[in-house]
Amino acid sequence: MNATAAVRGAVGAVLILALWETLARGLALPAYTLPAVSQILAAVAEHRSVLQAAALVTGFEALTGYVIGALAGIGVATLLILARPLRAGALPLLLAINSVPVVAWSPLVLLWFGMGVASKIVMVALAVGFTVFLSALAGFDRVDRRSVDLMRSFGAGRFGIFWRLRLPAALPLIAAGLRVATVRSLIVAIVTEMLGAYGGLGWIIYQSVTLIDFVQVWAAILVASMLSLAFFGLVGALERRLIFWR
Amino acid sequence: MGMPVSSSPSPLLELRGLSKRFGTVQALDGFGLDVQPGEFVTVVGPSGCGKSTLFNIVAGLDEPDDGGILRFKGRGCHAKELLGQVSFMPQRDLLLPWRNVVDNAILANEIEGASRREARAKALAMLPEFGLAGFETQYPHQLSGGMRQRVALMRTFLFERELMLLDEPFGALDALTRSMMQRWLLDVWQRHRRTILFITHDVDEAIFLGDRVVVMTARPGAVKLMRAVNLPRPRAPDLLTSPEFTAIKREVLDAIEEEAMKSFISGTAAPP
Ligand SMILES: Nc1ncnc2c1ncn2[C@@H]1O[C@H](COP(=O)(O)OP(=O)(O)OP(=O)(O)O)[C@@H](O)[C@H]1O
Ligand SMILES: [Mg+2]
Repeated sequence: MNATAAVRGAVGAVLILALWETLARGLALPAYTLPAVSQILAAVAEHRSVLQAAALVTGFEALTGYVIGALAGIGVATLLILARPLRAGALPLLLAINSVPVVAWSPLVLLWFGMGVASKIVMVALAVGFTVFLSALAGFDRVDRRSVDLMRSFGAGRFGIFWRLRLPAALPLIAAGLRVATVRSLIVAIVTEMLGAYGGLGWIIYQSVTLIDFVQVWAAILVASMLSLAFFGLVGALERRLIFWR
Repeated sequence: MGMPVSSSPSPLLELRGLSKRFGTVQALDGFGLDVQPGEFVTVVGPSGCGKSTLFNIVAGLDEPDDGGILRFKGRGCHAKELLGQVSFMPQRDLLLPWRNVVDNAILANEIEGASRREARAKALAMLPEFGLAGFETQYPHQLSGGMRQRVALMRTFLFERELMLLDEPFGALDALTRSMMQRWLLDVWQRHRRTILFITHDVDEAIFLGDRVVVMTARPGAVKLMRAVNLPRPRAPDLLTSPEFTAIKREVLDAIEEEAMKSFISGTAAPP
C-alpha cells in the first residue's frame, strides 16, 4: 500500500514537471514568470557548491532550532502537567504569545540576536516550540480518566502516571506535531534569512531577486523544498516505527 | 438489611453507613457490608445504583461522605489510604496499547517498584494458567475481547493484595466465553485464595460464583438483600439447574425485580 502511494506520488510529480516544462518552453515564458524545469536544474548543477553551502547553513539553523524547540515544547508541557498550579498562570500567557504570528517577532529577534545563525535558530525554536508544546499538552490531557484512576489504585503518584501513561498516550499527537514542525522549521529559517542574514537559502533567494536572477531564485526554492521533503519524510518514517500501536 | 450471615471475629473489610453524593445525585446511602478473609462476595443491583461508586471508594479513588465507617484489616481508615492496598479491576480492561501482554500484566508490579525482570518472569510463568501461553509478545489490538479481559485479570492477580475488586469483568463477553471464564475464575481463586468482591448484572453469575450475594437497592444504593450461597465447591455448570440454585435465584430475582421496577418508575416519572 505504501509502495503504491509512493509510485503514484512519483508519477504525479513527473507529470507536473513535464507539463511545467512544456508550458514554459511552448509559451516561451520569460524567466521572471516561470523558467523551464530544465533551466532550473541546470542552474542547480551550475551553482552546486554555493547552493550546497547555503543548504548546509539553512539546514543547520532549522535542525538546531527544531531540536531546541521540540525539547522546550515537550518540556514546558510536561512542567505544566506536573505542576498544576503553574498551568493556570502560564497557559494564558503562552497562548497570548502564540496568537501573534511567529514571523512578527523576527525584527526584534534580529535586533537581539544579530544577523547570524543565532537569530534564525531562535525563530525556528519559537515556531517549532509552540507547535510541539500545543500538541504535547493536548496529548497529555487526552488520557482516559479511568486509566489514571487505575494507575492511582495501583499506588502510582503523579510522576509515575506521567511516565507510564500520559507520555506514551501523548506520543501520537506529539509525533504529529513534530512532523508538522519539520516543514515549519525550514520555512521560518528561510523567511528569517530573507529579512537579514549572511548566508543560507533565504539569503540566496533575496540576493538573486535584487540581482534579477530568477532562475537562481527557483534553484534555491527547489533545494529548499528537497530539504523540507527529506526532513518531513525522515520524521514521518520515525513516527511510523515508534508508534506501532495505532 | 438482610440477615447477618457470618460473624467470625475479624472481617477483612467493614463498611458501615457509607454514603456518597455527587451534586444532586445521592449515589450511595447507608451502605453496609462485612467481607471475611477468603470470601467471594458478589454484588448485583440495577444499573446506576452505585456499584462502581462503592468500588471507587474501596479502591481509595473516592472519599465517602462524612459519617460512614470504613475499616480495612480491622483498622479504621480514610479511603485514600487504600490506594495501592487493594487490587482493583475496573469495568473496562483499560490495557495500555503500547505494552504487550506481559508488560500490561506487570503494570501494577512496576508501579510498586518491583524489578521488571522478575515481574516478567513471574508473569510468563502465569500465562498458561490464564490461557495466554504463547501470546506474551502480542499487543492488545491483536487480542480478542476474552483474551484482553484475561490479561486485565492477570494484571489484577499479579498485584498481590488480599482484597480484589472486580467490576463486571465478564460483562462484555458472549455467553459461552463467559461461562468458561466463570469456572476458570473459580479455579484460579481457589488456588490463589484471595478475597473477592465481584460486581455483575447477571444473577446466575452472582450465585454461581459467590459465597454470598449482595443485592443492592435502586439509587441511592444500599443493601436490599444479603443471601448466603451454601452450594458445594468446586461448582460445576449443572449446578445452575439444581433445585437449591433455583430457590436462591428465585429469592434474588424477586429482590432485584422490586428494585428494578422502582428505578424504572422513578427514572420515567421524575428526575432523580
Ligand atoms: N464522578 C461522578 N460525578 C457525578 N455523578 C456520578 C459520578 N460517579 C457516579 N455518578 C452517578 O452516581 C450514580 C451511580 O453510578 P455508578 O457508576 O456507581 O453506578 P453503577 O451501579 O456502577 O452502574 P452500572 O451498573 O451501569 O455500571 C449514577 O447516577 C452516576 O451518574
Ligand atoms: Mg458500574
